[in-house]
Amino acid sequence: MITNNPEVYKLYENSYPMKFSQGGYHDVLIEVRDLVHQGCELISHPLMGSVKPNETPYRSIILKQGSQTDLQSVEIIESSIQTYEKFKKMKSLPMWSHKILEDFQFVDLKLFESAIESTNLHI
Amino acid sequence: MRLELGKVFIKDMQFSDQTMVKDGTLYINKQELLNAISGDDRIQHIELDIAKPGEATRIMPVKDVIEPRVKVEGPGGIFPGVLNKADVVGSGKTNVLKGAAVVTTGKIVGFQEGIIDMSGIGAEYTPFSKTCNLVITCTPIDKLQQHEHEQAIRFIGLKAANYLGEAARNVNPDETKVYETLPFAEGIKQYPDLPKVAYVYMLQTQGLLHDTYVYGVDAKKIIPTIIYPTEVMDGAILSGNCVSACDKNPTYNHCNNPVIEDLYERHGKDYNFVGVIITNENITLMEKERSSNWTAKLAEFLSLDAVIISEEGFGNPDTDLMMNCKKISAKGIKTVLITDEYAGRDGASQSLADADKAADAVVTAGNANEVIELPAMKKIIGYTEPADTIAGGFAGSLRPDGSIVAELQVITGATSELGFNKLSAAQL
Repeated sequence: MITNNPEVYKLYENSYPMKFSQGGYHDVLIEVRDLVHQGCELISHPLMGSVKPNETPYRSIILKQGSQTDLQSVEIIESSIQTYEKFKKMKSLPMWSHKILEDFQFVDLKLFESAIESTNLHI
Repeated sequence: MRLELGKVFIKDMQFSDQTMVKDGTLYINKQELLNAISGDDRIQHIELDIAKPGEATRIMPVKDVIEPRVKVEGPGGIFPGVLNKADVVGSGKTNVLKGAAVVTTGKIVGFQEGIIDMSGIGAEYTPFSKTCNLVITCTPIDKLQQHEHEQAIRFIGLKAANYLGEAARNVNPDETKVYETLPFAEGIKQYPDLPKVAYVYMLQTQGLLHDTYVYGVDAKKIIPTIIYPTEVMDGAILSGNCVSACDKNPTYNHCNNPVIEDLYERHGKDYNFVGVIITNENITLMEKERSSNWTAKLAEFLSLDAVIISEEGFGNPDTDLMMNCKKISAKGIKTVLITDEYAGRDGASQSLADADKAADAVVTAGNANEVIELPAMKKIIGYTEPADTIAGGFAGSLRPDGSIVAELQVITGATSELGFNKLSAAQL
């Protein structure tokens, strides 16, 4: 799992193999792309949530180890990066207030937990 | 299953001593309504207001819009499994206060609610500028968690619609329309020469604050299933989400789904409309695969010739949309997709986050990135500060004079992927 959401990391770093990314949304996507090309398979969709990539700074993505490149995962992560770039070009991420950032962290956390629940990866 | 929908036309709404419908006006006893919707400890104060078409009024941030309906005959009540028992609805008689709506507002999450303008250019983009709106503004207790806040407001809105709907119970409708879908085998025999068409109805279900409920069940937990179209008209599907305002389906839109309406209109003429397959839009790829496998399997099982598929939301649901399209097409069944676009402010960018060559018939409900300017309004119901932070707003969206420059995304229902809006694309 890769996340740049401090809430997700704080709550789950000891429960799952998790890497905290110091970067932004784009950096998380790129790290995931690299892992996908190295054989990992996407479990959660990189664009989860209806929050647009130029609105939320947070992203938490779940992958699993694989033995060969999963083409569907490659397609999805590449088109997610393209979508991110399209939105970024339209408008960059605003300087959000602390309250709004907390809301974004909360929504990302809840979507992450929803993904965990449906993959049966319970603690 | 046969439903008579009695429309009681409402042209005005006023607070009064008694809740009733008289000569096209819905009179509301404010205190009685407050008593009917109060009692949730999570809400410290409820404000009620009325917004009418043509007024210089802005409602924001809008969470849901609900149409008041009442079951007059037949099993069950409106919003089954939530406000009423989980009886199978969709048959008998239902009266509706056509022209009235309940609008709930609240700052649930900082960035996901919408705007309804009752006049000016913004009013052109939302269907809810044409309805007389009972607006509910709820102030939560301190530090209430967002999803608790959402749930509290959802129930308050549904209770208000239920209360107002009762006013239509003993009123003779101005117009009655009958909708009927036969059990599948009989339906096939009824129009054996017409193409068998069903509607694949995708529901937003990505997780907390992104949920839709079917008979009270969180739809992310369902496996795609079949529902009679008239069940939807009785409130079997309701919105519990706080996603982009322009393309989320408020509960009002579910009850008035124009895809269902139009398929009924052409049923027996151009198509044999056999029913609705509901499916979800979950987060993980396995769930997307599973649900799209099931929609395709059900489409094949029903020996369909064609389906219409509507999406809710944008981004990862685009993947569900394409999976549904690809797998249903692979069964030899024709597909038409309804979506909206995030194609950049000039409309020139790639519209969706996913694509497939099987998606060769796609209807757009508009470009959510289009920038619009909303004039200042005399009266604001709710809170204006979220203008900068709601999806489609940006720093400086709310100008000092009260006008707003933002993307179409901010307008409730502007690019409805059910087609409950005015935007589309046409070839000139």
